[in-house]
Order: sequence, then C-alpha cells, then structure tokens
Amino acid sequence: MVDATAEPQFLTTARDRQRAMVEEYYAGLADAGGPKKPVAYMLVGGNLTELVRSFGYEVVFPEIVALNCAIKHVSLPNILHAESQGYGLDVCGYVKNDLGLQELGGQTPFGRIPPPDLLVCSFSGCYVYVKWWEALAEKYGCPLFMLDVPYMRDDPPLPEDVQYIVAQLNEFIALLEKTTGRTFDLAELKRMLAHSRKAEEGWVNYLASGRRRPSPIEAYFEAVFYMFPINVLRGTPAAAEFYATVNSEVDERVRTGTFPVPEEKFRLVVEGVPPYPSYRTFWDFFRKWGAVSVAATYPKVGGLFDRGFLHDPARPLESIAEYSLGAYVNQSWPLRRKLIEEYVRDFGADAVLIHGIKSCRSFTAGQGDLRDRLIHDLGIPTLYIESDHEDPRYFAPAQIKNRMDAFFESLDRRRGSTPLPLVTT
Amino acid sequence: MTLVAGVDIGSTTAKCILIENGEIVGKSLAPVGVELVKDAERALSQALTESGRERREVTVVTGTGYGRFKVAFGQFTVTEIGCHAKGAHFLFPGTRVVLDIGGQDTKAIKVDPRGEVVDFAMNDKCAAGTGRFLDVCAGALGYDVSEIGALSLGARHPVKVTNTCTVFAESEVTSYVARGKDPKDILAGLYGGIVSRSLSLMQRVGVEPEVTFTGGVSKNEGMVRTLEHRLVLKINVSPLSQYVGAIGAALYGLERVGGIPA
Repeated sequence: MVDATAEPQFLTTARDRQRAMVEEYYAGLADAGGPKKPVAYMLVGGNLTELVRSFGYEVVFPEIVALNCAIKHVSLPNILHAESQGYGLDVCGYVKNDLGLQELGGQTPFGRIPPPDLLVCSFSGCYVYVKWWEALAEKYGCPLFMLDVPYMRDDPPLPEDVQYIVAQLNEFIALLEKTTGRTFDLAELKRMLAHSRKAEEGWVNYLASGRRRPSPIEAYFEAVFYMFPINVLRGTPAAAEFYATVNSEVDERVRTGTFPVPEEKFRLVVEGVPPYPSYRTFWDFFRKWGAVSVAATYPKVGGLFDRGFLHDPARPLESIAEYSLGAYVNQSWPLRRKLIEEYVRDFGADAVLIHGIKSCRSFTAGQGDLRDRLIHDLGIPTLYIESDHEDPRYFAPAQIKNRMDAFFESLDRRRGSTPLPLVTT
Repeated sequence: MTLVAGVDIGSTTAKCILIENGEIVGKSLAPVGVELVKDAERALSQALTESGRERREVTVVTGTGYGRFKVAFGQFTVTEIGCHAKGAHFLFPGTRVVLDIGGQDTKAIKVDPRGEVVDFAMNDKCAAGTGRFLDVCAGALGYDVSEIGALSLGARHPVKVTNTCTVFAESEVTSYVARGKDPKDILAGLYGGIVSRSLSLMQRVGVEPEVTFTGGVSKNEGMVRTLEHRLVLKINVSPLSQYVGAIGAALYGLERVGGIPA
C-alpha cells in the first residue's frame, strides 16, 4: 500500500507555474468590467475564447469559478443561498454556486468575480445552462448570445453543422462589433488561433505521455489542474509557454523516475467530472492502491484535441465551429463510448472508473449504460460511483472508499497476485 | 493445524468465525455498539469460548465489514464484498451471484467459479430495502423483526408499498394498519418491494444460477420465498448465512498464511 497521506511525488515546477497563472488571472479580474476592459461570461464546452478576446474582452468561466470554490471548500454557502432563492436540490451545483455567488457580491477567496458585460452561452447541449445564462441576462441586463451547437453525432462533423455554426459566428461578430465599437480584426484572430494551436500541441504531447509505463503523468487528477490554460488562456502566448514547461517537467520525471505513485499497479481510464469538494480525498483513494489514471475524458470537456483536431488559423471560423462541435461534452454517447474503448486499448489500461455526478444529468445520463457495455460486452472491469462535482453534501467517503477498495481488491485478485492487501487505514 | 479467525463488523452486528483444517470450529454473533474495537474483541473471545480454544492458538485474524479497520488486533482487512463472495463460494461452490442484505446495505456480487469477485452493485445512500428497513416496518406493525419471517406466507391480497424511503414506508405501513389491512398482506407487500429493489441490483451484475442469499435478511423465510418466486429459481440459503462475510474473511486469512489455496 502507498502512504496516501503523503503528498503526490511530482516535480512541482509546472504545478507552481499553473498556480501562479491562476492567481494572476484572478488578480487581473479585479479591475475588469466596463468599457475599458469588458467582461464576457462563457461556458467551457466549445468556448469562443479567441474570438471574444480578439475584441478586447476579458473572459470569465463561471463553471471554473465554481469548481475553484468547491476545491477551496467555499461552494456550500453559495449553493445554500441559491436554494434559499428557490433553486431546487436537483439543480446543477455549478449553476447554484454561481447564482448564489452573484447574489452575495461575487467575492471569493481567490478574488472578486466581476459582473458580465456580455453573456455568451457557448454550449447549448445542457438546457439548465441555457436557463442559467437567461437568469444572468435578466439580472444584469447585458447582451446574451446563444450559440446553438448541434449535438455531435458523426465523426468528423457534418459539413452542414459546421456551416450552421459559422453562420452564427458571423452574427456573433456583428454583435461584438456593436457592443465594443470595434471592427472585426481577422489578422488578430488568426494570430490568437496560432497561439492556441501551439498550446494545443503541447497539451496533446502531455496527454500522450500517459501511454508510457509507468505513466509519468496523472491524466485525471493532475491534468485537471492543467486544463486551466487550455480552456481559459487559449489565444495567448502564455498558454503555449505553460505546456512547454509541463512537457519538460514530464521529460525530467521520466529521466529521474519520479512518477505519480512510487509503484504503478493499476492503470485506469477515468470518465466523469471530479468530486471537487473532496478532490484530494478522492485522489488518495486511488493512490493508496497504486492506481494511476493514464487517460481521462473530463480534461477534454472543453475541447478534444488529442484525437486529431487543432485550431487552424488558415480556416479561422470553420476551425472554431469544428472545435465547438467536437468538445467532449458535446459528443453523442456512441462517440463517447468509442473514445473510452480506444483509450483503454491505446493506453494499456486495466480498468475504467466512472464518476457520476448527481446534479448533472446532462453529462451523467448514459454512464450506467456505459458501465454495462464495458463490463458485459467488452469484459473491461469498470466501477461506477456517484457523488457531485460541486455540492459537498453528496460525497459519502465511507461508501465511496468501500466500493473502491472492493474494486481494487478484485482487480488484484484477478491478477492472481498477493492474496491480501495489508490495508491498515 | 492452522486456526484462523474472521471478524465481520457490520452496521448492526459483529460476527466471528473460527476455521481450522477447512472446517468451521467456532462462531459468535452479537449486536454492535459505538465501541467497535471492544465489539470486535468480544466477538473473537466469544467464538473462542464456544469452541474451547485459546487466543494464542489463533494464527491470523482478518477483519471485514464497515468496521474492519476497528479489528485492531487483526493482521489483515478485506472488504465485505470480497469476503461475501469467498464465503458464499465456500458454503455453496456453485455460487455465481451473491445477494447480501445486511443491516444497512444491499449488495449483489457476481463471482467466478473460484469465488472471486467479477462485478458488484450496491444500494446508494438509502437504507430502503435493507434489514434496517424491515426493523422499522416490523415495529410499525407491532412485531419484532424476528417474528415476521413466515407471517407473510399466509397473505391473500398483498398490498403495494410504493415508497422507496424507509421513513416514508413506515408512514405507508401505518396508514395500511389504520385502514385495517391484514399484517400478512402488508408484509407481503413490503417483501415484494424489497425484492424488486434487490432484483434491480442483481440485474446490474447479471443473474445466473446458483444464487446464494446472505446477510441477516436471508433468515426471513418470507423474503426467501418472495425472491425465489420472482427469480423463478431455487436459491441457496445457509443456516450460517449471517456469518458468510466472517467465513470469507477467515478463508482469506488462511490463504494468506498458506493454509489452503483459495
């Protein structure tokens, strides 16, 4: 057994840099808002960061603010406040965190979140999200742009779907010109997309290193930290520089033999949003067993770059449209299932762990069928557990730990390895 | 000769099994309180007393159940899921599915021909359909849970208990009592509800013979009959069904010290 109370043994250059970037970003929001530095709220899935930034907007992702609140254990007061306003128990935790936080003044331990000057609903696959953005538009009286992204049924996406989004992007550009008084600068957008592409290439290289044995990366718990630049800072040189730092650290880990766990015992593919309020506890349940996630779907909710797509500055709007369509969160279940099966095969995984989240049926519905398909049709050991991504009330550590212990025990036994774990905690 | 002990600290009872030479030579069962370490020690000492053996003769103690980490004097711990699979296979070697209904949880476990866990499913965050649920509902009918086993067998017009929450089900039972329904019919309705929930878990792992029913609720004859009726299958129930987890724990310990191969 691994000592799960010890800090994960990574080199920390990249993690320190990521922390600093997050701090800089939130510090930068302090003076954002208004005509000089307007703020656009956007959703992570298929976001239009480059386009919005090319008009001088600062971007805020309330989902990311919400997960930061959860991981810092301050989401519950926001959620309770939203519930006191009438939002029900089953409403998405991200939504309630944000609406509660907005009503309470927007102050978080990592900075004050400015109100929006523009609302861009970039992912319309979740009806609750659409209503969330409508509630914010009503509260702040600012322009609301709804991007209707068709559910991705085919890979590659259908040309008519791409053209449908491009037509909407042109409408969006007209709105941005009107709200900012600026003229659309195609050259600037292309420059930003080139920065994005470079960052995406770095991110893909990082994710690919999970194929190594032992894996020098933690493709779920660590990659979640490293999602921030690829989602929030795309279009800036800083994002590309960050992944260069990450990848040199990964090389260093390989060279020095510094791996996520001292002895890699189980390689996992993980599906689902993490339980942010109990992030470290959940991670420790893996580490204790020497389990490492070598690939995961959640870090691709914003964009699925590791299966061939990269932004193309030569086809700016078409490329943005293809990106929005292909985000993991917008993929149909047959495509999601296929991706997970490929990850298991390509990354040499032993098993799949699915974490379902109670307050998001949009992302979670179908995970039970996924589990059945993986176990019964493909013979891949799979564990399904459930809590929530935002609401700490739904994380039952004893039950979750018990299921995970039993799952890893059974994996261990199937290998015919040592008959009993020496578990003492 | 290797004497091994398995101690299962569940949510309502502590069980201990002593195995020597492949045979069960001692056992104990008692309610648990809040001092689980003492409960575990008591379970072991009672089993030793019953078998006339001494503590120093025990080679290895393995803990299981929710309180397994409180078997502080033991050498190993294994989850109750693995132990129920192993224990059921020991009692009924043809077991492919184990249904365990304990005090506060229900689990369906698919096992391979060696008694190893292939898959499992458990109830989540709700005690409806467990032993505790039966306790509460028996109380609402004015019975002790130990008295209600065979009562439902004489039911003529089983009611429908629609609530899946223990607290609300108790209200529903009270309502049926107030309407003058026969307790036999109410119990038959309750068992039908519990079995429906259990079947849902069993179907997640896949039902195939032989099915072995374990845990305290397997001592309830009405539940066994209802389950057999719904599965259209004869199910295995041992007089030691409450001890299956402890048996599995003891066997794991035996394997660990090289007593017999699993």
